[in-house]
Parts: sequence; C-alpha cells; structure tokens
Amino acid sequence: MSNMMTAADASTMPELKTDQLFINLGPQHPSTHGVLRIGLTIEGEVIVKAVPDIGYLHRGTEKLAEVRNYHHCVVLTDRWDYVSAMPNNLVFCLAAEKLAGVKTTPRADALRVIMCEMNRIASHLLFFGTYGIDLGAYTPFLYAFREREMVLDLFEMLCGARLTYNYIRLGGVMVDASPEWLKRTGEFIEYFKPRLDEYDTLLTYNPIFMARTKGVGIVTAEEAKSWALSGPNLRGSGVNYDVRKFAPYSGYENYDFDVPVGTDGSCWDRYFCRVSEMRQSVRIIEQAIAKLPAGPFMASGFAKVPKPVPGEAYAHVEASRGDLGIYLASDGGISPFRMHVHAPSFINLAMLQEKLVGMKVSDVIALLGSIDIVLGEVDR
Amino acid sequence: MSDKPEEKKPEPAAVPAPAPAAAPAAAPAAAAPAPKPAPPKYVPPTPVFNRANGRLIEDRFTTWPTQVFANRWSRPGFQWGAGMLVGIFLGLGLTGFAIGELSVWAARVYAILGGEPFKKFFLFGPTVVFPVKLAPLAVDAIWTAIKVLIVLHVVLINGLWSIWWERKISAHIQSRVGPTYAGSPSGWNFHGWAQTAIDGIKLLLKEDITPAAADKWVHALAPGLVVAPCIIAFAPVLFGDGMQAANLDIGTLYIFAFAGISVIGVVMAGWASGNKYSLLGGLRGAAQIVSYELPRGFSIVPVLMFAGSLDLQVISNAQAGYWHGVIPRWFIFYPVVGQLAFVIFLIASVAETNRTPFDIPEAESELVSGFHTEYSGMKWSIFFLAEYAYVLLGSFLLATFFLGGGASPINAVPFTLIPSWMWMLGKAMLMMFVFLWIRWTLPRFRVDQLMDFTWKFLLPWSFVNIAIAGLYLAFWLK
Amino acid sequence: MTQDEFFAKLQAKFPKLEKAAAPVKDYLTVRLSSKDQIEPVAQFLKDSGFDILDMLTATDLLGPVDMKGFIRQQNFNPFLPDGATPEIESAATAGYPYRPAMDLLWSFISVENKLRVIVRLEQPREGTSVPSLVPMFKSADWQERETFDLLGIKFEGHPNLTKILTPDFTVGHPLRKDYVHVKDRFDE
Repeated sequence: MSNMMTAADASTMPELKTDQLFINLGPQHPSTHGVLRIGLTIEGEVIVKAVPDIGYLHRGTEKLAEVRNYHHCVVLTDRWDYVSAMPNNLVFCLAAEKLAGVKTTPRADALRVIMCEMNRIASHLLFFGTYGIDLGAYTPFLYAFREREMVLDLFEMLCGARLTYNYIRLGGVMVDASPEWLKRTGEFIEYFKPRLDEYDTLLTYNPIFMARTKGVGIVTAEEAKSWALSGPNLRGSGVNYDVRKFAPYSGYENYDFDVPVGTDGSCWDRYFCRVSEMRQSVRIIEQAIAKLPAGPFMASGFAKVPKPVPGEAYAHVEASRGDLGIYLASDGGISPFRMHVHAPSFINLAMLQEKLVGMKVSDVIALLGSIDIVLGEVDR
Repeated sequence: MSDKPEEKKPEPAAVPAPAPAAAPAAAPAAAAPAPKPAPPKYVPPTPVFNRANGRLIEDRFTTWPTQVFANRWSRPGFQWGAGMLVGIFLGLGLTGFAIGELSVWAARVYAILGGEPFKKFFLFGPTVVFPVKLAPLAVDAIWTAIKVLIVLHVVLINGLWSIWWERKISAHIQSRVGPTYAGSPSGWNFHGWAQTAIDGIKLLLKEDITPAAADKWVHALAPGLVVAPCIIAFAPVLFGDGMQAANLDIGTLYIFAFAGISVIGVVMAGWASGNKYSLLGGLRGAAQIVSYELPRGFSIVPVLMFAGSLDLQVISNAQAGYWHGVIPRWFIFYPVVGQLAFVIFLIASVAETNRTPFDIPEAESELVSGFHTEYSGMKWSIFFLAEYAYVLLGSFLLATFFLGGGASPINAVPFTLIPSWMWMLGKAMLMMFVFLWIRWTLPRFRVDQLMDFTWKFLLPWSFVNIAIAGLYLAFWLK
Repeated sequence: MTQDEFFAKLQAKFPKLEKAAAPVKDYLTVRLSSKDQIEPVAQFLKDSGFDILDMLTATDLLGPVDMKGFIRQQNFNPFLPDGATPEIESAATAGYPYRPAMDLLWSFISVENKLRVIVRLEQPREGTSVPSLVPMFKSADWQERETFDLLGIKFEGHPNLTKILTPDFTVGHPLRKDYVHVKDRFDE
C-alpha cells in the first residue's frame, strides 16, 4: 500500500475540487461470492470508508434448531457452508455426541476424516478457481472445477448428494464406503497429485498474480488474533493454529500431516496456505484409506429421538474456512435448548470494514476473495 | 441424433489364413500366422449402483464431453458441418484470391471507368468503351465505395470469424470443447461453426435498453464513435503486396491517429450510462488507452527509421530479402531492437484492445462490465465488433511492421510462390492467436501497476530502443 | 498448563471467581458474579496469553421457545394422519431450572497453551446491559452486534451497536424465547 492516498492528502490540494463517490458493491455483484453488500465510499480509486452489510441470507437456523430434534438439526447444518458441508455435519454430530456421551466407532471416525478432507479439497478448489476469476484469470477456474466435479461425483456415489450431504449422522455415518468407492477415491488421489503442480504453474507463481496479491491486504499476527480470524486466514498471518493439531478430534492425531503457515499475512500467503493444505489433505486421505479399520460404521447408543441430559457442550473442527464451532445447550428435551454457531466466515469477514480503508478498488476484490467467505455461513 | 459410439465401417472379416498343407493337424495354431487383431469393441461402462438406495449412478468418469464425441466423424451431420466450414473458408479464400490477384488490374479498371477503351483487354474483337462517360469525381466515388465496402466487410467478417475462433481456442485452453451444437437442427454442427452467426441473430432480436438515468443521445452515439474510427483506420492497412484501400504516405500515422479516437467513445459510454461502475470503467479506459498510445507509437520508431518511411507498403518492402539466403530480413530478426520493439508493440496493442491482462476498463470482477455495463443488444455487440476489429488491426500491423508483410519466411520454391496476401493473412492469424493466448492465460493488472508498467517500463525501453536503432543505422546499416 | 493450574492462577488474581457448577463439557468454565468483573478478567486473560476472543454469545433461560415465534407451522408433514400432532412441539422439561435470565458466554483461546477458557455471566433478562469488549478484542465487534440483534443484550461502549443479521423491519429479537413473529410485507 505504498501508493496509498488518503482523504487528508486530497484535502491539502484546495484548488482541486474532488468529490467522493459512493458505490454499492453488491448484493448482486460478480465477485462478492453471494449476497454480500459493501457500501464503499471512494476517492478516485481509493477507499475512504467501507461498510459491509450482511444478513441477506439469514435463515435463522439457530432459532429453527430449537424446535427440531437432533437428527433433524444435521440437515440444517448443511445449509451454512454449502461449499463444504461435511465439516458442518461433523461439528454438530461431535457436539451432540459429546452432549449425549456417545462414542463413535473407529471406522466411522476414519470415514468422517476422509470425507472432511475430500470436502476441504473441493472447497479449496472452488476458492482457487474463483480467486483466479476475481483477479481476471478465467482459465484456472475451469481446471479447478474439472477436479471438483470428480470429488462431487465421488460424494454422489457414496451418499447420493453433491452439495448438501447429510452424510455424517449422530453416532457415525450414513452408509459404509464400498471397496469400489475406496478404489475410485484412491484413483482420484493419484490423478489429483500432479494437478496440484499444474495449479502452481497456472496461477500461484504467475508474476502478475503475485504482483496483485503479494504485499496486498496484509494482516499482522496481532491483528489476526484480535479479529479472532481462523483457518488459513489466521495461519497466513503466521499463527500456527489448526484445530486438527490444537484439539484433535475424530482421530486426527493418528495421521501424519503438516500445517502450512504463511509469513506476512498478505493475500498471497492466505492463498498459498489453502493450496498447500490441499497437499496435506491428500496425505491424510491416503493414510486414512490405507489403514481404514473394519467394523461398524454407526455406533449404537443413539435413540431415534435422543434426549440428552441437561448440560452444555462445545465442539469445534477445522472446517475449510476455519475454526467452526457449535455450542449446544440441552434442557433434557428432544430439541436443543440453544444452539450457537461459531461461524468462521462471519468472524473473518468482520475485519473487512477496517482493512479496506486505504485500499484500491481492485484490491477490495483481492482481499475479499482471499478471505474466502461463504455467505450461507456468514448469515446462517 | 444418437451420441452412442458406433462402429463407423466394420473391418472386413478377417480372412482366415489358408492352412498350410504340410502342417501337422496336431499343432495348427503354432504354424498359422497370427490372426489380425479384432477391432476394439465398444464396451458400455459398468453400471454402479448406490448402495444405500439401489439407484443407478451414472458413470461420470467415462462420459466426459470429449469422449462422447470420440468418434464424431462417423456422424453424417459432422461431415456436413465440416463441409460448410471448409466451404466458408474456401469462399473467403477465393474472394481474397480474386481481390488479391485481380488487384494488379485495378488501375486498368479504374481507367476503364474513366472512359479508356477496353482494347488492351481483348486481343480480338472491337474496341469497346464503357457506355457511360463518367465525371472524374464520380469515378473516384464509385471506386472508393467499392474499396470501402471491401474493408467494411473485412471488419464484419472478422467479427464473425474471430469470435468463433476465440471461443474454440479459449475452450481448448480451458480443457473444454466450446461451441459444439450450433449449426443445424439436423446435426450439421461441425465444431459449432454457426455459433457467432446465431449469436448475432440473437443480439439483433434482443431488447435495446436505455437506462432511465442515461443521457439518451450520448448513450446511443457512443458505440458508433467506438467502431467508426476503427473501420476508418483500416484504410491504409496492407493486406498483401499492393493491396491497400488507400495508399497513404503517412499510413502509420493515419492508423494511430484514428485508432486513438475510439477512447472518446469509451468515455462517452462510461459517462452517459448514468452508472457509477460505467463511469469508473470509462475513466480507467481513458487513462489506459491514452497512456499506452505512447509506447505503442515509440516502439515502432526503429521500424520507421530502418524503413525510412511511414508508408506501410514501403515498410513491408524494406523487409524483403534474406540474410545469407536463409534468415529473412524481417525487422523482428534485427538483434535486440527488433525483438524489444515487437514485444513492446504487442503489449501495447493488447492494452489498446482492453483485453485481459489490461482489461481494467471492463474488469468483470470489479466493475461488473465497466463502460458497457448498461448496453444491450446490438449496441453492446458493436463494442465487441470494435474490440475484435482492433485485434485484427493489431495483428495486421504486427505482421507488417515486424514479420515481413507478405514475404515468405522460407527462401525456397514452394513457399515463395505462395501469394503475398496468404502469407499476410497467415501471419496476422498467428498474431491473433497470440492475442487470444495471452488473454486466456494471464490474470489482470491493477490500475496503478498498469500505469507503472507503461510509464516506468515500456516507455523508457522504447526510448532506449530508438537509441540502439540509431547506432545500428550509423554503424551497421549505413 | 492444565485447566486446574490456570484456574489457580486466575483465582489468585480474582478471588471471587468460581468454577461453574455446570461447566461446558471438557472446558474450563468460570462464572463471574457481577458484570463489572468482565473487563478486568478479559484484560487479565489477554495479558496471560488468551489473546483470541473466540466466541461471544448468550442463552435466554426463560422456558421453552414460543411457537408463535416461527413464521410457518413447524414440521409440516402432509403424511400425518388427521388429528395427529406434529412430532415436535415446544415443551417444557420437568426439573430444568427455567428462569428469566440471560446467560452470557465468552470464550477465550490461548494458542500457546492449547487451552480454552469459557467465562459465563448470568444477568437479569430485561434490560440486560454489559460492558463491551471491543476496545480489547476487535472480534467482539460483530459478535456483540449479533448478540444484540438476536437476543437484545446491550453492550455499553460499543461503537456501532446496530442490527446486523435481521432486516430493519423485524420487530423484536428472534432468539429470545418469548419472541413472537410480527407479519411483515414479505410474509404471504
């Protein structure tokens, strides 16, 4: 932001009559990734004020959950982060299992890990493609979607759905993975590994792309912690916080993987964390398939209509967009007394109002894309 | 129309090898020559069923679009479509050939129109005089009208061709297949050859919307002001040796002068739409195009110095001949200067056309569509006509300035016999491919980076280039 | 540092603090006795490494949820026989201490210690107002706005305490248990 010009600079030139322009970025705009509206006040090409406006997709799932039983609530979770719905399923199930004191089987845990990591790949591929489009490179998008389609096809083969899976259920998973499916997944992983290098040549080390993203939208580690960012946004700033290592769940402690961490917290670092995470996901899936334990895929112990004893539980997972948590309180009834979602997109987006000031209009898109929000999760 | 793979023509049944009479009956297989391998049979994909509900899951791994059309030549519609496309190209080529080869008689036709007898055309028969004696002004008017029509159709047909080509090229760059179905309901759809024509019909029939906030007249005038200078700028463009609509001494200057006018249309479109995104786009476009005019102009100064003229024909002729009989004396092969000038001119040309690394005036992800956000139907498509016309103009200029015009790259007989307009067109199409290639590969600059690039990199280096060219002229090319 | 070690440290600084009787499972849960404590406790937590305010929310403890708060009939099931009641209805559970109170929750993370501290505070339900943590943690900004929007809890000192998720015409705070939906122009 060396070329930053503020309103104060402009006002030192009294003979130059300038006027500020108010622009509505959204809710219908190609690169707000949904129905996000940002009221931008610009001075030339420089932002002097940014007011994010959310809530266009608010469906009140926290309220809806209060009159649904625990099995029904899993369906609601799919609709938050619809780009990667498996971790949403998982986090609700973990919280409900904690509340009810049910322990899942090893096979169910391994299948959950495989599905969540596959979904992380699919989600990061979507990010990769749309981030390219945000910065004007159309071609990587179609390369990314070629592989994302394969992941979604695998999901469809296993659970019949491509977007809202409802696959991870209380106590386990919906159906067991067939040997055919595992073979196909292994083939996909083998196919996918060289593709990652292809992405690097396409976009990651492209000089124009690096000029657009390196040193743009820098978030320092202190700022990132103060904004409570999570996921690649926090790790891009150099804070090594990954729930899979911080508080392992579903047997993540059994897998060997690294947590990619950025250095200066620029858009490129956040981008690179995601691209590197795909490699780690590939490693985890390979290990999980190799040592997939036999046994039942669903734990016994959940009633058709569970009524947990009164109490409170909090579970959080490393979803594709960050630390996704669920706070569940039970009054002993058939529905949660209170459900609160700690939605990473919502919390990551909050820094926009402060970080955008002083940036150029083009950098707004670069920063917004690098945060990687899904409005379904922001508004819930 | 069935997409099912089918055997095109069954291989003739393998003729059974005549059993050798002397071979013992006990081991016929060992002695007999290996039978012909059977043609590969179409094996349908194994159906996969969902284990949860028993429903059939379509086997997507084997039905990528490229595989659906694996044996596309077996379809009669595909052959017909290919025929149509070949016919179109052949027609275009023959028209070009007719214009190109007959252009040597153009002066004669001009004279006949002016009243000169036909005598020298016909060895036998009476001397014929054109029945109406035309005034010199009328002769000029008719002659100019013919040339204007030809140039105008170059621009229009270029839109038809280059949009289809861009869609196919971009599709194959992006691992897609692009237009596949447009052509005919009965299946004359060779690579979707009719896509642009049908798109054009659609655009003609679309509603022409003028926003309530728009300045009506300026809004309507802007597309015309963008495309008209572009067509005018084609007048001195060299399509082959001696094939210019207007043989101007200052052709280069003329082209740059008119190509620079279009920016006024862009600004008008941005301002008159009554939309803030359009306004931003228009302003960005003005800043960008005006800035890139400079390196674009200065980058060809070495070429003008070497050729010693602004006339495109002279520039083209200056590149005739071969060093050591092998390397063509094209300006791009002049060490350092040629390549540098070529690259700067290419980059500036891409920037002039508002295409992707430099498409900030219409940056889709930032400004929705920039200055043409509020345009629809034919007004919108005229902007694109102008864009593709500028691509063609840039391609022809690159071919003329740096790639030797109509000269053959190889100093050998079958190549040197090919007419110059063919070489010219081929080089221009190669350059157009480079334009498309750049567009579908690179991300977009930021506004300040764009300005930095032209003022701090392209412009200084084009000055350096002029200095080196001066040294060449002083010491090498005396 | 384990939970107990850290709690001992916390209690040395704030002797009035106590562990919650009903903790959030597996996490160190601390219950404040008054709203004046939240700012010093948050400052102490921030200074001792808990520099991420991860979550901020509240629970309305007033009885089961009012069914009139929903726009449509819940669990509409066309296959139910005539006269059958829907599977789900809001019903009070015997033995649960419903009371007119707001139970606030702050959750702090320390990345270095791999520890999470949950701070609870119970406040009267009407006119709830607690100090804002925005000066200390920027992440409190939107989360406090969300809590205000959905539960009607005011945060003193918040720079811009306005609605964030619900539209401007929504009357009331939807996550309060006694919320009743007022029909607006978008309802059929």
